[in-house]
Amino acid sequence: MKARLFLFPMIFMLLLVCFTAIDVSSATAESASSLSGEIPIGAVWSMTGAAAVYGSTQKNASELAVEQINQSGMLGAAKIKLITEDDRSTKEGAITAFDKLIKEYKVVAILGPTLSNSAKAADPIAQAAKVPVLAVSNTAAGIVEMGDFIFRDSLPEMLVQPNTIKETKNKLGYKKVAILYGNDDVFTKGGYDAFKKALNDQGIQILATETFNKNDSDFSAQLTKIKGLKPDAIIVSALAEEAAGIMSQGRQLGIPESVPFIGGNGFNSPKLAQLAGPAAEGAITGAAWLISNDTPGNKAFVEAYNKKYGANPDQFAAQAYTGVYILANAIKTAGSSNPTAIRDAMAKIRDMDTVLGKFSFDARREPVHPPVVQIIKNGKFVLYK
Amino acid sequence: MSELPQQLINGLWQGAALALFAMGYTLVFGVLDIINLAQGATFMWGAFFAFICVTKLNWPIWYAIPVAMVGAGFLAVLLDRLAFKPLRSLTSGGLVLWGGFILLLVGMVGRWAFPVKTGITIAGAAVMLAGFVIDYRSIRPLRIREVPHLAPIISSIGATFILVSLAINEFGAQVSRFPANLFPVKPYHITADAVISPIQTLVLILSLALMLVLSLLINRTQMGRAIRAIAWSERTSRLLGINVDYVIAQTFFISGALAGAAGVLLGLAFNRLEPTMGGEVELAGLTVIIVGGMGSIGGAAMAAFLVGMIRVLSVAYIDSSFRDAFVFALLILVLLIRPSGIFGRSKAVRA
Repeated sequence: MKARLFLFPMIFMLLLVCFTAIDVSSATAESASSLSGEIPIGAVWSMTGAAAVYGSTQKNASELAVEQINQSGMLGAAKIKLITEDDRSTKEGAITAFDKLIKEYKVVAILGPTLSNSAKAADPIAQAAKVPVLAVSNTAAGIVEMGDFIFRDSLPEMLVQPNTIKETKNKLGYKKVAILYGNDDVFTKGGYDAFKKALNDQGIQILATETFNKNDSDFSAQLTKIKGLKPDAIIVSALAEEAAGIMSQGRQLGIPESVPFIGGNGFNSPKLAQLAGPAAEGAITGAAWLISNDTPGNKAFVEAYNKKYGANPDQFAAQAYTGVYILANAIKTAGSSNPTAIRDAMAKIRDMDTVLGKFSFDARREPVHPPVVQIIKNGKFVLYK
Repeated sequence: MSELPQQLINGLWQGAALALFAMGYTLVFGVLDIINLAQGATFMWGAFFAFICVTKLNWPIWYAIPVAMVGAGFLAVLLDRLAFKPLRSLTSGGLVLWGGFILLLVGMVGRWAFPVKTGITIAGAAVMLAGFVIDYRSIRPLRIREVPHLAPIISSIGATFILVSLAINEFGAQVSRFPANLFPVKPYHITADAVISPIQTLVLILSLALMLVLSLLINRTQMGRAIRAIAWSERTSRLLGINVDYVIAQTFFISGALAGAAGVLLGLAFNRLEPTMGGEVELAGLTVIIVGGMGSIGGAAMAAFLVGMIRVLSVAYIDSSFRDAFVFALLILVLLIRPSGIFGRSKAVRA
């Protein structure tokens, strides 16, 4: 008797499960109808050379995102196949990589390249071939202006820097600053332009503007000059390697700790504190993302990254991770792996939930999401308050 | 103007390190009339030898500096045997040496499992050693000829590529660093505003000491006399019974050791080691030896300080973007006005 009592509810439940399952599978089939097989996506990172610090985390993060997307069945029967190329931090390397990805691997979209300098050289190739490019770390001016297939999810320096200057000026009340920047690189030069504009807009006096070259190791002459002018703060637009050298040599020359180093996007790497050690304490930088951000999926992302690679992700990792999700989202919405269809779908992305916050592309394919200001305390980036 | 003392200190200690590098450079030129463009690569390897000692073997830095100098010295001797000596006089030993070297490269770069890779590498090293000995003992070379000036320059550029590639293969292309706490960071105050850090003091003192040792070595010892004799005329020295090959090896050893010392010291001072770090100092060194007068050791030392000062003073009082422009303007000026260099003399007087 007891068995019979259980039988009816069980049959009922089984039927219920069956129907729901059918319902779900038919829905997925519909939205990703023409998607199947492997969708090749290219990624061009600087895994060796001056920008290797950024490239390696980008590679890790993008691979993590692809793995998650493929496991979740977000694209139905289709899977993303990520083809990663190293551009050796050079323009030539980026051009070769783009050529290879487009002609040999027939990728439907490209992530990268790491450096703005390389992007300016390589992106026109993709534009000509009508393959969408999503830059995840190019922050210089004039990236998306290269064509309607070029996007970026990295906030340009022009948007981040005014915010950094405004917040730090309010709290530190500085009036005169000195600037030190690398003048032979589009990225660091772009950072300098953005800072200069922001400083002028806020009425802050620039005491001196000093320059250096990529791969310089000695900054003592410039820093001595800056020290003699007694600025309230020192603005640095440099990649992490050089920035670390600048900060250690500056403190060694006796620039007091009350004079903070304020940097651009190049500061945004945990490597900075690692390389400069105690000299990095108190360094301030604007950023698009912070590890302690309370954005959708951020905690899970940090945990997954940490579990897989045994280290915390940085902003570049977060942006690369977001980049893969943006592409996957565009592919899903387009329901096709046609590059032009992906481009059109990507241009329409508004208020997408990402680890960077609510993410939209504006009409010029520039990213829109809230920036943060951070400071190095005890060797780690924390929110600047 | 209050920054002037500090700028002079900046120029001084960097000039001292540059002087070390340039003296070795000019020494080889004085003796053999060749420009060894692989000096920059030797400099880089000197820094990495110390890096291996400190990070892999956990030796204190006080051992690592002499080890790096000796290592770089032997590297320079090897370089002579591989890249320059075969051009002067080719021996069967030289061919064996080259064979061993190629085997060694294949062993180091190839991607085989453990015993094969190590075996080939060791075999290569053994063949090289044999070649070295045969080369050294050989009396009648297969071929002797006057070298055109360009040939050694080209072969030293080739050697640079090989050495840089090996370093990239070994340490990666990114920047390597010494552990952070090798030296105290608290700087010494010279005046209220001017400071010098302990490591910079070490660079300055060690460089000056090595300069003194080199000058004594060249001017006061039998070996120095032999080196000067060969610089004047190799043929005459041979007739006088000087073992020319041995003295040339000594010259290369000294030159390499100086480059190695400069490499470790600058590597420590900036705490930044990378396979391409020799490029910049190479160029600066070339300027220094031309300004100082090719082959003049004292001239190279003086010119190194001059170039060091011009570099910092042009940043301090003119514009940092034009730093290198001023250095090269000096070079062109010297070439126009005094082609033999500020401190240079003609070859006969020099000896």
